[in-house]
Amino acid sequence: MPDLRIRDVSKTYPNGVHALQRINLTIPPGMYGLLGPNGAGKSTLMRTIATLQEPDEGEIHLGSLDVLRQKDEVRKTLGYLPQEFGVYPKTTAERLLNHFAVLRGITRRGERRDVVESLLRQTNLWDVRKQKLGGFSGGMRQRFGVAIAMIGNPGLLIVDEPTAGLDPAERVRFLNLLAELGEKSVVILSTHIVDDVAELCTRMAIIDRGRILLESEPHGAVGDLQGKIWRRVVSRDELAALEREQVVISTKLLAGRTIAHVFRDGSPGQGFEAVAPDLEDVYFSAMSGHYGAGAMAQS
Amino acid sequence: MNFLEIVRFEIDYRLRRPYTWILFAVFVAVACLLAMKVLVGEAERAGDLHANAPSLVGMANVLVSMLGLVISAALFSEAALRDHDTRMSSLFATSPITKTEYLAGRFVGTLLVNALFVSVVPIVLMLLMRPPFVKGELLGPFRAATYVQPAIALLLPNVLFTGALLFAVGVLTRRTLAVFATAAFVFLGGLMAEEYIEGERGLAPLAALIDPLGFVALSENWEFWTTHEKNTRPLHVDASFLWNRLLWAGATAAILLFTRWRFRMNVASERRKGRREDQKEVSRARFSPRTFNASFDERARLRQFVAIAGDSARELLFSRDFAVIAVLMVLMVLSLGTETISDDFRTPLWPLTQFVVGFLVSFLPALAMALLTTFYAGELVHRERSVGLAEIADASPVPDWIIYTGKFAALGLVLVTLQAVLMASGLIVQVASGHFDFEIDLYLRILFGQKLTNYLLLAALAMLVHVVVDNKYLGHVLVVICHLFTMFAARFGLHHNLLVYGRDSGWTYSDLSQFGPFLRAVLWFKLYWGGWALLFAVIAGLLWIRGRDRGVATRLRLARQRFGRRAAVATALAALIVIGAGGFIFYNTNVLAGYRTPFEADGQSAEYERRYGKFENAPQPTVTGTKLHVEIYPERRVVDVRGTYTLSNKTAAPIRTIHLFLSPEVETRRLSFDRGSRVVIADNALGHRTVDLANALEPGHSLQMAFDVRFEQRGFPNSDPNTSVVGNGTYFDHDGGGPVNHRRWLPLVGYQTSRELSLAQVRREHGLPPRPLAPSVLGSSSVGDAAGPETITFEAVIGTSPEQTAVAPGTLLRSWNDPSAGSGGRRYFHYATERPVRNTFAIFSAIYAVHRETWNGVVIELFYHPTHTFNVERFAKAVRAALDYYTKNFGPYPHRQLRVAAFPRYANLAHAYPGIIAQAEATGWLTKVDESREVDLASMTVAREVAQQWWGFQVVPAAVEGGPAVSEVLAQYSALLVIEKLYGMDMVQWFLWNKRVEYLTQRSKADHPEVPLLDVTNHANVVYQKGPLVMYTLRQYVGEEPLNAALRRLVATHGSGGPPFATSRDLYRELKGATPPEYHDLLKDLLETITLWDLRTTAIAAEPAGDGAWRVTLDVEAQKFRADGSGKETEIPMNDFVEIGVFGESQNGESSADPLYLRKHRIRSGRQRISVVVKGTPARAGVDPQLLLIDRNWSDNLRPLTVEQSR
Repeated sequence: MPDLRIRDVSKTYPNGVHALQRINLTIPPGMYGLLGPNGAGKSTLMRTIATLQEPDEGEIHLGSLDVLRQKDEVRKTLGYLPQEFGVYPKTTAERLLNHFAVLRGITRRGERRDVVESLLRQTNLWDVRKQKLGGFSGGMRQRFGVAIAMIGNPGLLIVDEPTAGLDPAERVRFLNLLAELGEKSVVILSTHIVDDVAELCTRMAIIDRGRILLESEPHGAVGDLQGKIWRRVVSRDELAALEREQVVISTKLLAGRTIAHVFRDGSPGQGFEAVAPDLEDVYFSAMSGHYGAGAMAQS
Repeated sequence: MNFLEIVRFEIDYRLRRPYTWILFAVFVAVACLLAMKVLVGEAERAGDLHANAPSLVGMANVLVSMLGLVISAALFSEAALRDHDTRMSSLFATSPITKTEYLAGRFVGTLLVNALFVSVVPIVLMLLMRPPFVKGELLGPFRAATYVQPAIALLLPNVLFTGALLFAVGVLTRRTLAVFATAAFVFLGGLMAEEYIEGERGLAPLAALIDPLGFVALSENWEFWTTHEKNTRPLHVDASFLWNRLLWAGATAAILLFTRWRFRMNVASERRKGRREDQKEVSRARFSPRTFNASFDERARLRQFVAIAGDSARELLFSRDFAVIAVLMVLMVLSLGTETISDDFRTPLWPLTQFVVGFLVSFLPALAMALLTTFYAGELVHRERSVGLAEIADASPVPDWIIYTGKFAALGLVLVTLQAVLMASGLIVQVASGHFDFEIDLYLRILFGQKLTNYLLLAALAMLVHVVVDNKYLGHVLVVICHLFTMFAARFGLHHNLLVYGRDSGWTYSDLSQFGPFLRAVLWFKLYWGGWALLFAVIAGLLWIRGRDRGVATRLRLARQRFGRRAAVATALAALIVIGAGGFIFYNTNVLAGYRTPFEADGQSAEYERRYGKFENAPQPTVTGTKLHVEIYPERRVVDVRGTYTLSNKTAAPIRTIHLFLSPEVETRRLSFDRGSRVVIADNALGHRTVDLANALEPGHSLQMAFDVRFEQRGFPNSDPNTSVVGNGTYFDHDGGGPVNHRRWLPLVGYQTSRELSLAQVRREHGLPPRPLAPSVLGSSSVGDAAGPETITFEAVIGTSPEQTAVAPGTLLRSWNDPSAGSGGRRYFHYATERPVRNTFAIFSAIYAVHRETWNGVVIELFYHPTHTFNVERFAKAVRAALDYYTKNFGPYPHRQLRVAAFPRYANLAHAYPGIIAQAEATGWLTKVDESREVDLASMTVAREVAQQWWGFQVVPAAVEGGPAVSEVLAQYSALLVIEKLYGMDMVQWFLWNKRVEYLTQRSKADHPEVPLLDVTNHANVVYQKGPLVMYTLRQYVGEEPLNAALRRLVATHGSGGPPFATSRDLYRELKGATPPEYHDLLKDLLETITLWDLRTTAIAAEPAGDGAWRVTLDVEAQKFRADGSGKETEIPMNDFVEIGVFGESQNGESSADPLYLRKHRIRSGRQRISVVVKGTPARAGVDPQLLLIDRNWSDNLRPLTVEQSR
């Protein structure tokens, strides 16, 4: 299974926004999480890899395929689930899936029937295959999009913000589906939901304002932060003071009181208790520039 | 292959949608209905034409193509935009399909579906064009080719061409509106191209080439065919048609290639701008809700209403789409306006506001407004749902009726803005033509008063349709159908305006009487339909879709729920208006004004003929004297006439019984004789009265008949109110075969054959046998009808309002004011003729300005509307020139005055009476003449009416076939001679050119058989088009003076105004006397037969002949044809004198070059070679260069010579 190599990819939009700034990543087969806030450049990067957009500079290779220049070839092994997409409301699920199966090269009818059936069963849409897509709920539509993306076992699967709007059960099922696929292909999961990455991804990158802040294994990153995350409960007035004195990476409200997480290599002092870090802490630390590429730049 | 799969999917997708099938059904139904109506209508109108004539079916197919444009627009816009609108584009973009496969797949799939739709129409037509749907006698033999050929040559290629264009526009612009606008352009472009370019002589081939529907190319080769040819010749695919198809095939390929080149599958994502996230720190501010009070009282409701209206209107008006539409409307007005502001005869008029506005509310702009109305109504109704805002908006606490009224108000605002745009463009047109009298209030009254009301009524209907029918496109189609139905309701037998939504009794604006007799009725009708519109609004409000529930049952349930007090009140109000106004209107139109459907009205005429036709040949006394006392009350629209006829017995036997016609439109209050009499028949409904005299009237004796009639319009009619007497511009006449709107109010003696039905088809419908002589009114200026060539002494005292002037025939003996009579006083005029005149006269009364001058003892008076000064000088000059020429060449003018009087433009014509010419407001007075470019028809019309004082009043045609040849043809010829004197031969040639085209075109459309010039009765085409051609050809052959001498002799022998009456044979005899013997055959060809020539110069060469001279050799081919009434032609041997002409280089235009050689040669049938020697370098030569002989192909008469050729 080939790697996806992204080298020095940059993109600036006409209105001046630097969407991507010299992105360098190597993505091996497996689940890869791309984490970042809204507007970080995730979707731009996803679309670029999915052959929908041209970068201003840079190269992307999938194995020996030049993604930017051999788009047709790439599309033969590409599956893309966009962040926003619609479907023909008046067509049935089975029919539309069948159509895309043909377009993706499964031309023999018997083979196609099997593929369509297996995909619909995998996404749990077999029972509603004859229903019009206009009547699908959000979750069902999302699953249908995955079914399309998975036609022909693509070697490169890109899913952009896929779990937003799914109920817990659906979300779990969905992520399991992706995990199965990740065993054999490159699956890039772009999201702002930290838990998705934590549970599934073997590697991840955190991106903000067009730059990669951190690229590592989730497990490893969490381990790095061991002993550096401290917790304190404060009132509203105390918070302002705390922010002045310490590096507060996140705050949460809990029953009227504020719980602040502070980043410090060593105890900040009295009133702080050590906390076992999780990926969320990694995320906030990277975002505030205290961990990862930002931190390196600082020190 | 991916391509096939995409095609397959596209077709499958379409055919599964019920909407597709509905569209299909509607299209096929409407197309077939329309085609059948056209085919059957044309066949019924034109006598021998078969409803399934190949060329006719071909033309009907063009109509189907045009209708199909709407369907193509709907189908192809959906195909082009579906993926974009459903946001599925990226799924396709990431699939391994190429741009070509994708585009071609969608296009071909949709094309096949469209082609399927369209092909069904000829099949259905084929099945329907037979009994019992169509009467057997209208059909010719069945030929499958008739239906198949146009399908292959026209329908299917048109679908391909227009489909490619529409698909390309949809794909590249991604806007539905652009696709529909393109379809509208093609549709209108086809119509306009035919109208506009074909008028310009040289550009007809260009129009044929560029018309994508093939309409022009097809109608071009159809124009001059006769009935027989149309029935038998298959659709003639000639060169220009093939070129058209080839050109468009090439254009289609180019369009598709361009589309593929420019198309980007993932445009949507590329264009997305990077979202600039707020990079500041996330604010730590806490959210502390502030308390506020929401209000839901009346004022709040008003504010919400204003908010919805304003917001919707702003979104519609301040969009790029609207700007484009506004610009397009302005362009449409500017490009068409200056050309189209013309009268019925295409003469340009001064761009007075009444004409400019008339154009702004004419068919094309009104149709555009209707389309925009439904478009915006659909947008407004579906707006929230289209952008996905529906559920948020629907859950807000705004009541349904406010949403509806707000959106309706927004629609109204849009319509107001569009009217303002139209007004602005109208003003621009006026300024561009140098006319600065804007009459803004007239713009406002018509555009924002009358027309806006109509559009608002349509808007109410459109909103209702869009609310009820949940599908935007289906809604559009339905609204357009409703609108078209409104416009063409009469064709479906619905005449009464209470039954057709939005219609009123019609109005015409005139500078003289402004909105005159129309306004009251129109306002009542508007009120009535306003009630319906209110009802529509209530229903739309009740059925308004809010939330997810779309099902019919649910909506009805919700409607019942919503029917509260407000709705009840509105419904009650609407019902009150409808019933009240409707009842009042019904009372006026049916009870007071006596509404009759056209069939019923004809039935009355038929009944008159059936009951009293037997009296047609009963000997009757002749009117020899008329004395009238007329009281006109313009403000009240009442005319009282007290009069006396002197009736003389000019037959050889005593007359005991007198038959009279007393028009049912007037109240005849008294009718008595100066001797004992007894009324035998008094049929007031049909107007016939038979009176027996106690003592018979002996031959040579006279009696006096006194009468008292009153005209007063009771109520108002459903349409065409009487316009004879109006506030300013009264004009009514007597017994002259006058204009349509003018009734005959005074008693008429004898059975009136002119009251009979004339059209053969109508007579059949009412069970009457056909009338061979068809002696009914010929055009508008006929003086040759069979109403009795009596001469009378005439005297009239006319009373009218003090500020008006009354005009009547004869010398004005005196005029005086009577301040005590009536309210505010009245003014009186006493006229009397000095010698007996033909029994036809008119009476005018209006506020006039007068231009008075004297010519040779004759007082010339022009009575005109004070602001219409444009052509007064021109008219005076024309009258002088005409009097001058006619008295010199034909004989003296018999009266002491010659008057021209204006009347409102309710009828656009000019009509002559003894000593008076009636000239309509928009005929002549307001014509904008550019003598350098076109014929001065204003002067010509006047000259023709003056000529009638000789031809028609002095020389009176006998009431037999050929009568109009003596009056109309000679009058027009005389006028042409005056034009030649005033402007030269060039203008005459322009005039004759137009006549030639008209004659040949109209020949093929005639609804009765053609006859030679000497036998004409009501054959308008022959009289008015062929007549001048024939006379001028004679003039070129015989000479002006000899011809005039012949006419002088006719006046001398037949010009007494009474018997002997002249026949066309008398004219022929005089003409023959003036014609050299070698041209007698030609005379026969021109006048006694229907003869056409086909002359061609096939080759031409020139060589020097020494001394600067050249020998020019021409190869000429000639044929001559005799045609019968239906147009069937037989070739006859030709041996005629025809002009051969050689011309040198000319600076500008052919005819201004003096010929190097122009002489008549004997030309025989077949080929011949002619050699002439000329002095000077020849540039062009040919046979019959002045086109004196009627030839359908005149472009092959002359050939150019280049000097190289002559080496």
